[in-house]
Amino acid sequence: MELWVGALNLGFLYAFMTMGVFITFRIHDFPDITVDGSFTSGAAATAVLIAAGFNPPAALLAGMLIGMAAGAVTAWIHARLDINGLLAGILVMTGLYSVNLHVMGRSNIPLLNQATLFTWMQKINPGMHAEIWISCVLCVILAVFWLGMSLFFRTDLGLSMRATGNNPVMAAANGVNVNRMKIFGIALANGFVGLSGGLVAQYQGFADIGMGIGSVVIGLASVIIGESILRKPSIHVKVIGVIIGSVVFRWMIAFALYVGMNPIDLKLLTAGFVLATLVISGAVGKPESAKMTWAERFKAAISHNRMMIAVGGIVILAISIPGIRALLTHRPDAGKIHRIGIVQIVDHSMLNVTRDAFLEEMNRIGYQSGKNCLFQVENANGDMSSVNTILDKFLADRMDVIVPISTGCTQAAMHKIKDQPIVFATVANPFIIDAGRSDTDHLPNVTGVYGSVPMDKVLEMVRQVRKGKIRIGSIWDAGQVNSVYNVEQLKQVVQQDADVVFVGATVTGSSEVFQAAQSLAQQQIDMFVLAPDNIVYSALDSVIKVSESKKIPMVITDVERLSDGALCALGYDYATSGIQAAHLVDRILKGESPGSIPFEKYSRLTIGVNLRAARQMGIAIPSELLDRTTVIIAEDGKVVQKKELIHKAVQAKRLALFQFGDNELMNQAAHGVLDELKVQGVMETYPLRIDRKNAQNEFYMAQSIAQEIVSQNYDYIVTLSTPALQVTAQVNKLIPHIFGAVTDPYRMGIAKTQQDHIPNITGVATFQPVEKTIQVMREIFPRARRIGIVWNPAEACSEACTYKARDEVGKQGFELVEVNVSSTSEVMDAVRSLLTRGVDLFLTSGDNTVNMAFNSVAALLRERRIPYFSNSFSDVERGGFIAVGADYEEVGRETARMAARVISGEDVGRIPINNYLPEKMYVNRMLAKEYGMELPEAFLNRAAKIR
Amino acid sequence: MIEISGLHKTFNANTVNEVHALKGISVAIAPGDFITLIGTNGSGKSTLLNAVAGSFLPDQGKIIIDTEDVTAKKDFQRAKFMSRVFQNPFMGTATQMTIAENLHIAYLRDQESLPRIRLDKARCEAYREAVKALEMQMEDRLDNIIGSLSGGQRQALTLLMAVLRRPKVLLLDEHTAALDPKSANQVIRLTQNFVEQGNLTTLMVTHSMQQALQVGNRTIMMNKGEIIDDISLKEKQRLTASDLLDKFADLRKSERLTDEMLEELRREYI
Ligand SMILES: Nc1ncnc2c1ncn2[C@@H]1O[C@H](COP(=O)(O)OP(=O)(O)OP(=O)(O)O)[C@@H](O)[C@H]1O
Ligand SMILES: [Mg+2]
Repeated sequence: MELWVGALNLGFLYAFMTMGVFITFRIHDFPDITVDGSFTSGAAATAVLIAAGFNPPAALLAGMLIGMAAGAVTAWIHARLDINGLLAGILVMTGLYSVNLHVMGRSNIPLLNQATLFTWMQKINPGMHAEIWISCVLCVILAVFWLGMSLFFRTDLGLSMRATGNNPVMAAANGVNVNRMKIFGIALANGFVGLSGGLVAQYQGFADIGMGIGSVVIGLASVIIGESILRKPSIHVKVIGVIIGSVVFRWMIAFALYVGMNPIDLKLLTAGFVLATLVISGAVGKPESAKMTWAERFKAAISHNRMMIAVGGIVILAISIPGIRALLTHRPDAGKIHRIGIVQIVDHSMLNVTRDAFLEEMNRIGYQSGKNCLFQVENANGDMSSVNTILDKFLADRMDVIVPISTGCTQAAMHKIKDQPIVFATVANPFIIDAGRSDTDHLPNVTGVYGSVPMDKVLEMVRQVRKGKIRIGSIWDAGQVNSVYNVEQLKQVVQQDADVVFVGATVTGSSEVFQAAQSLAQQQIDMFVLAPDNIVYSALDSVIKVSESKKIPMVITDVERLSDGALCALGYDYATSGIQAAHLVDRILKGESPGSIPFEKYSRLTIGVNLRAARQMGIAIPSELLDRTTVIIAEDGKVVQKKELIHKAVQAKRLALFQFGDNELMNQAAHGVLDELKVQGVMETYPLRIDRKNAQNEFYMAQSIAQEIVSQNYDYIVTLSTPALQVTAQVNKLIPHIFGAVTDPYRMGIAKTQQDHIPNITGVATFQPVEKTIQVMREIFPRARRIGIVWNPAEACSEACTYKARDEVGKQGFELVEVNVSSTSEVMDAVRSLLTRGVDLFLTSGDNTVNMAFNSVAALLRERRIPYFSNSFSDVERGGFIAVGADYEEVGRETARMAARVISGEDVGRIPINNYLPEKMYVNRMLAKEYGMELPEAFLNRAAKIR
Repeated sequence: MIEISGLHKTFNANTVNEVHALKGISVAIAPGDFITLIGTNGSGKSTLLNAVAGSFLPDQGKIIIDTEDVTAKKDFQRAKFMSRVFQNPFMGTATQMTIAENLHIAYLRDQESLPRIRLDKARCEAYREAVKALEMQMEDRLDNIIGSLSGGQRQALTLLMAVLRRPKVLLLDEHTAALDPKSANQVIRLTQNFVEQGNLTTLMVTHSMQQALQVGNRTIMMNKGEIIDDISLKEKQRLTASDLLDKFADLRKSERLTDEMLEELRREYI
């Protein structure tokens, strides 16, 4: 749900950009590339002003104006200097890159702790979910925008603008100043693009120099999607098409993420989709085709564009193969694929534990979701009629085995399904719902795991806590067979103890539970004893309220709920229910008939005591009970589990490992994280599932991934690299988040000091050891004077490193010679220019642009005998001389160690950020020989590795 | 109304493709004159019209319209008081916009386009009346886009757009050439009506001898960028198509026409 709402919001924000693209491409028939730059310009201006304390609307207006200025310049170059429009756009876009960097002053401006339009919105939020509230507000804004734009296009000015784009000769012949109109239109369009950039920056919580890349394609794709959905030519339909197209495009991305498609394939798919639509609409867009049938149009399209269709077809085919494969991995090699439908009645910890343990165990015994088996997990959310709908769906989808969890679901399933195997789990008593007469004599298509909480044991526990005469009160829903059964059991054991009096209250829904608890309190009960009952347990808070205010201790049968405030709990370990059910399903899938598999009882009991509640109630827990407990809630609220049960009692947790892109260092860090998590043993101790996410260096993809992680409710997030941290920090306010491979979290607003950070985010900060590198340079080359450095000012990390280098060179008596680059293709020229300026040593530090051209740089420097220093450990492998660097694998490991602490229960808020620099030196001795120098033995001894 | 003096235009000067398209054209056109312009292919008729419309600036010479020197004015500035219909029916309208919207663009010819909505019901009604008078079955299709109209309908509409604000000068460049004979006749009839009603000063290029003689009060013949003949109304009324051809033959004798050109004219006009 959140995923789609988040995508909707992004779609709304990007709709302004799409409108800009619509105006340029469709109204003005002008392929304006400026958009890629003006999007960032808008974001940059807005972010800078907000960070400087301006109020968000004013900042946003500035963003729009700078966009307009950019557009005006492009159009002016095109119209007045008579330069091809595409070229004019490219020129301005390229120029804007520098302008944007100057405006921002650095490559990335965080807005995390700033007041933005969206924090303003939340201030007037009437209590809705944050994203939904944003949707509502944006919906209104876009409705106004739609109306405004539709009306604008009908004004004299709007009509003249459209005529200019449609037929400039005609417009000029009718007195329209075509050039002026073009400048105005393109400026307006880029104004919207800038506005969009400003909005997106505020929404995602930062502006980055790279965030506009690809905007034109996204915008065009959105426009085309909108057009193919809404085909009416009238202008207000076209305008709404723009908005819808933008939203649908976002949904496509969300969907691709949702089905697990690789985002990189999605991008190609988008490109292919746009190409195909352009090819087809290019042909059918011809006026004479208005009366053609679709078949004729198609034929026309093909005959007009045979070449393009052929090329497009090949491209699309090549692109879609990975996508199709991604879809197919959900159902590989037909025949061997097993379909299992799981339905639970309600979100209830007992049922959730069963379900997760079931899934986990299935996975463990070789049923991998998406590989050889398909799990469909459904939740009826407390609505019995939904259970039937779900079962119908399971039947339609031809499930091989249906696993109902809870008595109600099992009953419905048995009633509806007669010839499909059913394996139930967490059912108190299958016999009272007529599943069979005994464990072996039962319905032919039904088997499962059952067990009711032994009420005699519960009472025994009660008597251990309270001796003497007592009155116990119980609440249950008389409409549920298993509840009635459980309470009957309780009544029976009570009858055998003359000192215990039973007082009961029944309810028909969770809303009545509070009243029932109050009425019991009035009847002077000494203790609440609650038998298993889904309804009562779903409203357990109401009972706790009464329990706490009247100081009546509460005994429950669900250990998972102990921390909510009950005194003690005795129940089955429902994880075993799920695990046993998994083995029954396995047997059925291997060919056994359910009729011949006896019902199984689950046996493992868990006993829990809440010491905090005990203290509050003034109750001493006798030591013989404490000895038997497996779970203790300590006085400070921490859950302490006894080791042998940890594995079974904790449900499978999910961790999202999110890296921004693929590069050497990130991959090393990711590898370190994965390996260290294993070493730390958390993978075994806690069933932990790790999902890897990769944004392929795209900001718009990163936003969607972050939204997806949050909406999927991952238990933990580990991010690698700065942008991944930033996008995630903006959308995630609750999930424990551990970051790594980040240079400076303090500057980004994640933290003020190591201790003082956002409560749910901590991690590892790794500054590059620039100073150290320069010291090493001095040590080995006492006579060297000039150090050359090539760096990309758009990279935050590189920027920080260069600043440090500037400080350190002075201390060491060097001179730093700098050359800036903006893309990998410029690196070699930059290095050559350094060489002509006579440098003795070469340094590169944390710069991805240079890193990408590493091999050729290293080869050239080797040829010229210029020693190459860097901060990346792996550079020496690739031909560098000496690297003093952070070992990113080790950084990943440290990140994992921190994650392990969080997973085993430590509070993220209390874990300080670790400024961790696992410094290592790697020396290339072979090059030293080439330089004709002998490295001192003492120095070599300090190196971690020598080549 | 129009005074052209010593007009020169050379395209692609100083290249192998150099064309001296107008060689010192001088002509005075009185208010209300309806001139038909004839001549061989490439004789410079369209270039002359474009020069008057301001599509390019002449190399030499002057154009004065209604006592105002417009030589240095841009086309869209001249369009405030001058309108034109092109040979190509696709050229004169915005094909993705509706009939009403196109007419409204023409309505804005001599006004600033401001961000206000003036294409309201009343205006649409006025346009419907105007379109109805064309008798081209377009009055019920005001909200259809031009792309759905036939060539004849488009050309009639472009003509209507041209005369909507009563221009000082109307320029027509073979505006019926791309149409079927029936539509062509209809458009010519409309042209005559509009010019007569508005007493418009008109320059019309044609390749039909018939049209050249029957329409208008003056005929100018061009050749190789020069005006080689100027026939008054009186003379026109006397002339038949073959007389005109004889005239061509005379011109040949005076060595202002070559044999091939004469041949071409015969082919073109008969
Ligand atoms: N924009 C231009 N660039 C280069 N040459 C041009 C241009 N316009 C016209 N010409 C040349 O000028 C000469 C006159 O052309 P123009 O179009 O005026 O002839 P025309 O009398 O209208 O002929 P037609 O009867 O074929 O329409 C031709 O040789 C033509 O090739
Ligand atoms: Mg011509």
